[in-house]
Amino acid sequence: MAPPPHPRPGHAAGRPPPHPVRRRVQQHPGPLWRLLSSTSFRIALLFATLFLLAGLAFTGVLWWGTAGTLERQIDAAIRADALALAERWREAGDDAVAEAISERLALDAEDQTAYLLTAPDGRRLAGNLEQLPEDYRTDIQWYAMTLLRDGIPGEARLYVVQLPDGSHLAVGRDVGEKLRLRALLTEGLAWSAGVAILFAFAGAWLLRRWLEERLIPATATAALIAGGDLSPRVPLAGRDDEFEALGRSMNTMLDRIAHLMEGVRGVSDAIAHDLRTPIARARSRLEEALETSDDPAALKGALERGIADLDNVTRVFQAVLRIAEVEAGARRAAFAPLDLVPLLADAAELYGATAEENGQTLRTEWPKSLPLTGDRDLLLQAIANLLDNAVKFTVPGGTITLSAEMQEDAVLIRVADEGPGLSAEDRQRVGERFFRADSARATPGSGLGISLVRAVVQLHGGMLWFEDGQGTQPDYPGLTVCLGLPVA
Amino acid sequence: MRTMPPRLFLLLPLLASLPGTAAAEALRTVPQDVSYCRELAARLAPLPGAEKEPARSLAEEGVRLCDDGYVRTGVAKLRRALKAAQGR
Repeated sequence: MAPPPHPRPGHAAGRPPPHPVRRRVQQHPGPLWRLLSSTSFRIALLFATLFLLAGLAFTGVLWWGTAGTLERQIDAAIRADALALAERWREAGDDAVAEAISERLALDAEDQTAYLLTAPDGRRLAGNLEQLPEDYRTDIQWYAMTLLRDGIPGEARLYVVQLPDGSHLAVGRDVGEKLRLRALLTEGLAWSAGVAILFAFAGAWLLRRWLEERLIPATATAALIAGGDLSPRVPLAGRDDEFEALGRSMNTMLDRIAHLMEGVRGVSDAIAHDLRTPIARARSRLEEALETSDDPAALKGALERGIADLDNVTRVFQAVLRIAEVEAGARRAAFAPLDLVPLLADAAELYGATAEENGQTLRTEWPKSLPLTGDRDLLLQAIANLLDNAVKFTVPGGTITLSAEMQEDAVLIRVADEGPGLSAEDRQRVGERFFRADSARATPGSGLGISLVRAVVQLHGGMLWFEDGQGTQPDYPGLTVCLGLPVA
Repeated sequence: MRTMPPRLFLLLPLLASLPGTAAAEALRTVPQDVSYCRELAARLAPLPGAEKEPARSLAEEGVRLCDDGYVRTGVAKLRRALKAAQGR
C-alpha cells in the first residue's frame, strides 16, 4: 500500500493554496504611455477630433460646391445635348442626327466629347464611340466608365437614350477635370488630417507640460504635508484662475486643519490637566485610607468620596463626548417642531428650587408660545447649563432672570445674573473647552458648560453672545447670556 | 509629393457619386485617321472664315501634321481651325 501523499505546508496549516501570480509586476510606463494616458492628451485628442470633424464638414461643403457642382453641370450639359439630338432625330431622322454629331465632334477641339448613334440592329451609324457599354440596360441611362481615346485612358460619363424605333443615342463627356479636383481635395484632406494629428500630439505635450508646471506648487505642498509638516502653504502668484483658486482652497483647508489640530491638542492638554487632579486626589484618599484607617466606617467614607471623585471624572468625559457629538452634527436628524415655552418652564422649575435654597430669586418672562424647530433635549440641556451657571455665580439674595421673546425670524433667549461677570477678554474665550475665568476658579465646575451651549447653538444655526448683567454691586456687575435661535 | 490617401477619404467620391449611375467597362473611341483629317478639312473649306487667320494657318498645320502621321494633333488643329472659322 502506497503511503499517503505528504501534505504541502500551506495546506497543512489550513492556508489557501498559493496563487499562481503572487507578486504583481511593477510597471514602469514609458513616456509615450504616460502621454497617452494623461488627461491633457485626452483633451488635446478631443480637440483634434473636433478639428478633424470640422475639417470633414468643411471638405464636404467644399466638395459639394466644387466637384459636385462641376459634376452636376456636366450631367446637365450631357442631358441637354442628348435631348436636343433626340428631338432632332424625331424631326429629321438618322441622317440629320449623324450630321449634327459630326458637326459637334468637328468643333470639339479639346477632344472631350463622345457620341454614338446606333441603328435598331446595333450597327454604328455615327459618332466616335465604337459601341454602347457592354452592360447596357434600358432601365439605366447613366454610366461612369473609362474611355480609351487612341489607347489613352480617361474617365467619362455617358448618357444613353433609347429612341422610339429601338435605335440608341449615347452622349458622353470626359470628367478628368473633376477627378483631378477630387484627387486634389482628397490629398488636401489627408494632409490636413496628418497635420491635425501632429498638432494633437504637440498640443498634448505642451498642455501636459503647462498643467504640470501649474500644479507643481500644489503637489509639492501636498507632498510636504504628507511628510508630516503642516506649516507649508501653496504659494500664490496673484493670478485669478482655476489653479490659484485650487491653491487658495488648499490653503484654507490647511488652515482649518491646523486650527482643528491645535484645538485637539488643546483639548488633550486640558483633559490631561483637568482630569489628572481629581484622579490623583481620589487615589491619594483611597491610599491614605487604606494605610491609616482601620475603622470600617472611615474606610467606607473614603471609598464613597473616591467613587464621587471618579463619578465627576466620568461626568466630564460624558460632557466632552456630548459636545463632540453635537459638533459633529449627528443630532440634526432628531430636529422636530417644538414649543420652547414648556421647555423653559421645565428648566425654570428645576432651577427655581435651587435658587430659592440659595436665597436667590428666579424671574421668568416669555410669551404664550415660542414655536421652533430643533432638538428638545439639547435645548433643555443648554438652558439648564446657563441657569446652573447663573445660580452658581449669583450672590445670595440676587436675582436671576430667564426671558425669551419672538423676533422676526428667531427666538431670543436671555439668562441674566448678578454674578462677577466676564471681562471682554474672557468673553472671547468662553466656549473653549475647559476654559474657566479667574473669578470662577473657586466655584465648582469643569469649564464645559458653555462649550456645550455654544455647540448646541451652532448646531441650530443660531448665535451666542454676552451682554452686561443686571448686578447692582460694584464687584458683581452680572452677565447676560443671549441665545438667538432661528425659527426654522 | 504624392501621398496615399487614407481609405476613409476614398469613401468621399462614393458618397458624392449620383444615384442611378452604373459603372461600365472601358469603352474605346473610333481611331482617328487621315481620312478623318480630310473630312474636317472638307468641312472647313466652304466656311466664310476659312481663309482668315488664324483658321487658315491652323488648318494648314493640321493637314500637314496628319500627313506626317501625327493624326491626333492634326485633328486637334483642324478642329481649332473650324472653331475659329465659325467665330467661336
